Amino acid sequence: MRISRSSSAVVSAWLIAACLSGCVVSRPESTLPPGAPPPGETPPGSAAPAPGPGEAQPPPSERAPAQGPRQFRLGPAATALVTQAHTQAGSGEFGQAAATLERALRIEPDNPLLWIELGRVRLGEGNAAQADAMGRKAVALATGDPSAQAAGWQLIADSLRVRGRDPEAAEAEQRAGALSPH
Amino acid sequence: MALYVLYLDLLVTHQFEGRRWTLPAQVYAAPLELYTGLALSPAELEEELQRLGYRRTPALDRPGTYRVQGERIDVALRPVRFADETRTATLLSVVVGPKGLESLRDGAGQEVPVLRLEPLLIGSIFPIHGEDRIVVTPQEVPALLPAALKAVEDRKFDSHHGVDPVAMLRALWVNVRARQIEQGGSTLTQQLVRSYFLSTRQTFTRKIREAIMAMALDAHFTKADLMNAYINEIFLGQDGDRAIHGFGLASQFYFGKPLAELDLSEVALLVAVVRGPSYYDPRRHAERSRARRDLVLKVMAEQGIVKAEEAAAAARRPLGVTSRPAGAYYPAYLDFVRRTLRRDYHDQDLTEAGLKIYTSLDPRAQEQAEHALERELARLDRQHKRPEPLEGAVVVTTPQSGDVIAIVGGRNVGYDGFDRALDAHRSMGSLVKPFVYLTALESGRYNAATVVQDAPIDLKLANGRHWQPENFTHEVYGPVPVVRALAESLNLATVGVGLDVGLPKVADTLQRFGLPQPPVQVPAMLLGAVEVTPLEAAQLFNGLASGGFHNPLRAVRAVISADGKPLKAFPLEVSQVASPEAVYQLDRMLVEVMERGTGRGARAVLPAGLTVAGKSGTSSDFRDSWFAGFSGSHLAVVWVGYDSDEPTGFTGSAGALPVWAHIMAGLNTSSWEAPMPEGLAEMHIEFPTGLRVAPGCSDDMVAVVVPGDASIPAKPGCSFPDNGSPVTTILNRAEQWLRGLAH
Repeated sequence: MRISRSSSAVVSAWLIAACLSGCVVSRPESTLPPGAPPPGETPPGSAAPAPGPGEAQPPPSERAPAQGPRQFRLGPAATALVTQAHTQAGSGEFGQAAATLERALRIEPDNPLLWIELGRVRLGEGNAAQADAMGRKAVALATGDPSAQAAGWQLIADSLRVRGRDPEAAEAEQRAGALSPH
Repeated sequence: MALYVLYLDLLVTHQFEGRRWTLPAQVYAAPLELYTGLALSPAELEEELQRLGYRRTPALDRPGTYRVQGERIDVALRPVRFADETRTATLLSVVVGPKGLESLRDGAGQEVPVLRLEPLLIGSIFPIHGEDRIVVTPQEVPALLPAALKAVEDRKFDSHHGVDPVAMLRALWVNVRARQIEQGGSTLTQQLVRSYFLSTRQTFTRKIREAIMAMALDAHFTKADLMNAYINEIFLGQDGDRAIHGFGLASQFYFGKPLAELDLSEVALLVAVVRGPSYYDPRRHAERSRARRDLVLKVMAEQGIVKAEEAAAAARRPLGVTSRPAGAYYPAYLDFVRRTLRRDYHDQDLTEAGLKIYTSLDPRAQEQAEHALERELARLDRQHKRPEPLEGAVVVTTPQSGDVIAIVGGRNVGYDGFDRALDAHRSMGSLVKPFVYLTALESGRYNAATVVQDAPIDLKLANGRHWQPENFTHEVYGPVPVVRALAESLNLATVGVGLDVGLPKVADTLQRFGLPQPPVQVPAMLLGAVEVTPLEAAQLFNGLASGGFHNPLRAVRAVISADGKPLKAFPLEVSQVASPEAVYQLDRMLVEVMERGTGRGARAVLPAGLTVAGKSGTSSDFRDSWFAGFSGSHLAVVWVGYDSDEPTGFTGSAGALPVWAHIMAGLNTSSWEAPMPEGLAEMHIEFPTGLRVAPGCSDDMVAVVVPGDASIPAKPGCSFPDNGSPVTTILNRAEQWLRGLAH
């Protein structure tokens, strides 16, 4: 994905990306009994459970570091808040969108997808430095989830490009491409 | 005489105008987010509702009530204004099972994914310390209250001119006969004047002065204004060092709910308390205050304010006061809020402009921290028997968001005085060691298994003196792996490592993590000759708890104006201040501090299986006892010591650690289980020697995380299965990565 340097193009590209990620993260509610873990959330043998739906207090697990491949998803509460944040950001209310995403982050603080969402809002309002930092935070949290890591690197690339740091942006984009499942 | 009257007139008018337009900023705690899957028991939800002043009723007849039907709790939510949303009164049905919150539905039966309860009002920002009140507008006052006040205290309020000569003469006659001042005979206006000028002594000259001022007020202002001022001003109780002024705060203080929701018997009780908040204290003198409440009810019926049957029914009700003062008071937290806002607002904006301030305070965590500190300090005082009581301070954060969720400024938690969490600058002692070792890890020349020398040190300082630090045990341990040097807090080994990586580098690490002032770069810095406040220590460790990302700690989330406009937000900010790989390696060593080092004493208190990381701190001569540590979702820093800076005689492990452990145990927190960054490998080494061993090859081994390409000497005679070797780890990673691609 090429991102033009003009900020309006960045915003519209983000809105497309937001829609795409929204489609990825939100699961059709009707297929899930309330409270059941979403399918494929915790692959068997994985040491640490991926954050479940609203699982603020996951049961204490072994201290073994999370090593298995994982795929981060958002729980229903975070999904609803992300959807609300998209609406707010779409009408230019970046501050409100960020506040809504912070609510989601208090529910799932270790979910890299939420840090990417918040970084996208920061980028949308022109705060590329915070977008970059949140991309790095997401990459660090997304260990074991290549697609979330790819999204984190893409955010870093976009925030670098906005600041005119094209060589570094290309490098970050390359890392995103190498991790991306597509 | 005319000049004196004019002077009094000016004085009282000025005072009244000043108060009249004063709307102190109201400060709110973090709202509780309800969502499916939240680990919350039915009892905890009910407790939360009661904290917010919700009443359990069989019928949901009005906002502010709830009913329990088996596993379902129906709540009639009050209208509420958040910083980013205004919500009207609404119905909510919550199903709470044994595993937590199972479903959330609105009044129409629609599933709600997430909903906030209203935030708890935790106080107001007043210009004077120790003063607190909730200012109410006439619309928020139940009509019964002014009627009852007039009936009981001042029947001619609507017609007199500030004083009631007949009542005064009657009182004078009684007083002259008794040869002392007993009966008031003061109008509400006179009581208001008395409250403004805080004169409790009653002399005849004061009475005259008061009467002149009351007449002046009456001439200048409407009766409605005077009544509203009275309702917001009058003294209604004492909570430790905090004076309870006004019916708004008194309603929260005695009943835990807003003034507008009080029923007849509750209004009557507050009116009864007016006459003597100490004498008629409903918590301490229930019988006496009940008798007076019933008298108030009787008078109200006689005056035709309520029907006799209503008064009789109200008199049959219990007093209804909460057992502990509700709407608890958190001066240390408010202090931090005030200081945060002082950067952007003038004091006057905060005390007069009616701002609403939304904070991150978690009342549950705050109570845990207060109780743990009070209990453990009392225990330590009993053990150590010194003339001076021990003091302490606590800061609790949620590391990823940088929210400060609790602050305790001293053991007398309600005391609005010296706030140790923010103002006690104390030597950080061994709390500095993680930053020494982090600097070493970042240099690339050290890892957890690197063997370092714990050997005598004799440094000639610039001033010609010699510095000869010692270990806590006065022993010398010789060659030890880094993981052990940190876990056992060995001073000599740490100084050796710190001098090797360089004081400027260590100082730089501390500053990157948020130390506000550059530390004085002397060798003693490596053992914690760096003064920090507990809040600053929390800032430093917060970066370790969130994987090497710095979040400026914040108490305030947002400020809105009196008319609901967002004025200022304090958004979440992060910046990377260390490599995630180095911080992960360090954090795993801090886990070993808890497993087998100076933090192991916490095990007995913490829930089984909860993984935490932390570090004790003891400053020289045992003057400061520290513990800083974190789980997956919380960080707490505890300081214990004497205000006089006398030695305590105990270490961080003996003083601060038990407080820390009890706070963590009560928080319902989650394990620290950060994912291991790529490029690192986990292996086992022998704890005493640092040699690589295979499981079963040593009875004293520890798992450490080192860079994937680190070569760790193996223990002779130890055979290695193929797990744990760096090459296999890399192959495993490649395989995981490929499997990841298949998703």
